[in-house]
Amino acid sequence: MTTRILRSLIGGSLTGVGAVVAAGAAHASGMATPWQINLQDAASPVMERVHGFHNMLLVIQISIVVLVLGVLAYIIVRFNAKRNPDPSRTAHNTLLEIVWTAVPIVILVIIAIPSLKLLYFSDRAQDPDMTLKVTAHQWYWSYTYPDHGDFAFDSLPVAAEVLEAGQPRLLTVDNPIVLPVDTTIQVLVTTDDVIHNFAVPSLGLKTDATPGRVNETWVRISKEGTYYGMCSELCGVNHYYMPIQVKAVSKERFAAWTQEAKEKFAARPAPAVAAAPAQSIQ
Amino acid sequence: MLGAQARGINRTKLTAVILFAVVAAMGGLAFASVPLYRMFCQVTGFAGTPRTGAYVGTASAGAGAAGEVTVRFDANVNSQLPWQFQPVERQVVVRPGEEVLIHYRAHNFADKPITGTATFNVTPFKAAQYFNKIECFCFTEQTLKPGEDVSMPVVFYVDPQLFEDPNTAEVRKITLSYTFFPVETQAQQPSAGEKAL
Amino acid sequence: MAHGAAAGHGAHAHGEHDHHPTGWKRWVYSTNHKDIGTMYIVLSMIAALLGGMMSWYIRLELAEPGIQFIEDTQFYNVLVTAHGFLMVFFVVMPAMIGGFGNWFVPLMVGAPDMAFPRMNNISFWLTAAGLVLLVMSAFVGGGPGTGWTVYPPLSSIAYHPDAAVDFGILALHVAGAGSILGAINFIVTILNMRSPGMTMHRMPLFAWSILITAFLLLLALPVLAGALTMLLTDRNFGTHFYDPAGGGDPLLWQHLFWFFGHPEVYIIILPAFGIVSQLVSTFSRKPVFGYLGMAYAMSAIGVVGFIVWAHHMYTTGLGVNARAYFTTATLIIAVPTGIKIFSWLATMWGGSIDFKAPMLYAIGFIFLFVVGGVTGVALANAGIDFALHDTYYVVAHFHYVMAIAAIFAMFGGYYYWIGKISGKQYNECLAKTQFWLFFIGVNVLFFPQHFLGLAGMPRRIPDYPDVYAGWNMVSSFGALLTMLGTFLFYYIVFHTIRSGKPAEANPWGEGATTLEWTVASPAPFHTHEVQPVISAGDHGHGGHGHGAHPRPAE
Repeated sequence: MTTRILRSLIGGSLTGVGAVVAAGAAHASGMATPWQINLQDAASPVMERVHGFHNMLLVIQISIVVLVLGVLAYIIVRFNAKRNPDPSRTAHNTLLEIVWTAVPIVILVIIAIPSLKLLYFSDRAQDPDMTLKVTAHQWYWSYTYPDHGDFAFDSLPVAAEVLEAGQPRLLTVDNPIVLPVDTTIQVLVTTDDVIHNFAVPSLGLKTDATPGRVNETWVRISKEGTYYGMCSELCGVNHYYMPIQVKAVSKERFAAWTQEAKEKFAARPAPAVAAAPAQSIQ
Repeated sequence: MLGAQARGINRTKLTAVILFAVVAAMGGLAFASVPLYRMFCQVTGFAGTPRTGAYVGTASAGAGAAGEVTVRFDANVNSQLPWQFQPVERQVVVRPGEEVLIHYRAHNFADKPITGTATFNVTPFKAAQYFNKIECFCFTEQTLKPGEDVSMPVVFYVDPQLFEDPNTAEVRKITLSYTFFPVETQAQQPSAGEKAL
Repeated sequence: MAHGAAAGHGAHAHGEHDHHPTGWKRWVYSTNHKDIGTMYIVLSMIAALLGGMMSWYIRLELAEPGIQFIEDTQFYNVLVTAHGFLMVFFVVMPAMIGGFGNWFVPLMVGAPDMAFPRMNNISFWLTAAGLVLLVMSAFVGGGPGTGWTVYPPLSSIAYHPDAAVDFGILALHVAGAGSILGAINFIVTILNMRSPGMTMHRMPLFAWSILITAFLLLLALPVLAGALTMLLTDRNFGTHFYDPAGGGDPLLWQHLFWFFGHPEVYIIILPAFGIVSQLVSTFSRKPVFGYLGMAYAMSAIGVVGFIVWAHHMYTTGLGVNARAYFTTATLIIAVPTGIKIFSWLATMWGGSIDFKAPMLYAIGFIFLFVVGGVTGVALANAGIDFALHDTYYVVAHFHYVMAIAAIFAMFGGYYYWIGKISGKQYNECLAKTQFWLFFIGVNVLFFPQHFLGLAGMPRRIPDYPDVYAGWNMVSSFGALLTMLGTFLFYYIVFHTIRSGKPAEANPWGEGATTLEWTVASPAPFHTHEVQPVISAGDHGHGGHGHGAHPRPAE
């Protein structure tokens, strides 16, 4: 066991880095990239605003950290016991205390205004062009298109062994969600068992699926492409293996797809418990 | 000195008694939160809880001028319940204040009578406080005989204030969702047993 | 137990007061605040090793994509859950409140012992029983794989059918009862048993922090106990508090849990504030800057902590106005925490700073707390929370601001007080090495997790898409450094007790002004039997730790 651990940490680190560098070439838009340090690319109006707001926050965050670190560094250099053998006895400065109470309040107001604007923007009820209904299960998703013939299908993860080239592991599903671009889509999220969370980072979607209630959110996809997400609320043993894949296509292709899908999925029995992967807690 | 000490001990005991009372009160609050939370949701429409109860008649108030709102219907059945459950009309366009009757349809696949109960909520959540249900199958448990097909009515109206509240004025589509669950007595054994292993 | 010998030795000097039971009876039946404090510290060190090993195992699994070590992913979830519970309830709380609190609150306020010594004993043994129950829960059936948040329905009988979750619930009940009794004890002690002249406004900030923490415990833990009881009856007696099929609501659990859970975060960090204030003042040889502001900032944090809980629930489907309120309320917390940071800096400013290991940890704490604080300002905003919720950004945030920051304060406290506790002084060179190893380790461990979180990697997963491999590898390497730093700490403790130099009554010089430094090292079994009288101006005035606090003499 010990050798195995050591091998993984020392040897594994080299192969791991190698694999990452190699993977760097395969760049997908709707997912993260190796060594990424910031948010995923935005492909919806909400996510674009999130980017803007986060960039502003980042400036404030870095400024505060740099300020405090700078002061700390100065203190360490200037007020160490060698350079400053006689400590001052100052323990009060009313003006200073008022300033460092007031200035953070100003900064917080500067943050709060765009923050609340963004919040109300993301919550603003849209007049949606269509509805996507999402139902979570342990451990897969099923999707219903109530405005296009009410067909429904299950979306199960594709095992690593049968992935085709270019299909990312743990993110690829057999039946992705297909959605039209430039269309306001109402997304209704619920669950059949435990709490899950429907999340697609580049589309700015993250909504809990809670039993006994239906949550609503919306999205308007701005670019064609494939977008990936993962279940974002601990839901049991296969929580990590419950991907979401969204294929955003033109309105025409979407119309064509709904025709096909209606036939393809009409024959299916209603989403049933039996379809659950044969996994249990024990 | 002795007196002071005795006083000190009494004060100590008194403080401790007060603190134990605080603990009991907070513990009680946790249990009291069950009905309190439900009441809070019903009163404020918090978390998408629609209003329920009799029609309070404001039909003429904002009707017409404010326009219309589309109410869409959504249905879910817990997979432990062998029912089919769907709205008959997928959506209706209603005028504010107008009393509307719609139906859901439920069908029992099983070969035995089964009782179900429905939870419900309205989205967007902020519209819930202006969504009033006068009559609903979800207020009581529903029992379906084997193979029975029933029509379940819902009577509701949308409060015209929806259009006056700046927070909800832009709402043009409201979704009413139901989820049917089996009532414990029948469903308990198979569901728990199945999941157990 | 080496400490037993050490304390016994200390008692020699005070012959007439040293009658106490010996052997196992001294510990099991102990009603002495110092012995109980020591037992809490030992308990937390055992739990820390357990919780630490779990986290290193988790990082080992996450070092590269794919599942290498933990093939049973339920076991992975159990590790995540148990790591959280252990660290929160059985490491940080026992060490800082039970350990340092018991040891030094009576010493600092000039009380001979805690107000209710027998209750103190019960508190400890309840906590110990809780630890045993929690460890047992991991071995019952599949273990509790619910996360420390224990959200139903995942934690309900249908999805966790064996008794593991019940064991976990009972563990929290028992440990919670212990903490409530402990909290009552601290409040009564601090309010009623201070020495003459030790007014509230002269009390050391560590005592203040424990007082406020005790109030938070008193208000928050009963709510958790109630919520857990309802979960227990839902699981075992057919109630439906959280079951939508029976008219319950799973969201109610989340509200109750976070109504406890958010103050719990402050329960962890407030004593750390107190310790850091003592350290900064001692090693800068200056009184704490803005003492009253510090005390009231802590109180403000405690109060506001009770009205921000739903910022943990932004994605659950709260109304927009509720989210706007919780965003605003949460942002407000930045003001008192800012006051604390700036006051520590101002305390150091103009000081004559001695960079001993405890001071390094205090400075490290300030750094970590600022980094974790600014990410908290981001997470406070419901508007961008759906980009960050349940990602590694959250993991990085709370480890920086709460978990590791608290551990830093604990390490600082250990080095600061180990001479008083054991009578032996640690080796400065080893301790500084340990600091740098640990400091670099935790930053390499947690800083890249911000990147992972921003890039969208969810938390609580044993395997991740390959694109996240790079930073995960870096993070796991940091975990390795942290592990070495942790082991070195245990060695230093062992080394100190076995072969440390005898500690002086006050090894820190004129900066250490609180009352615990006026008694011998190790502290005698009984202290302050004749209450010290504190008056402004004389040495005793320093007893409040802010000697030159410019309030007029009272």
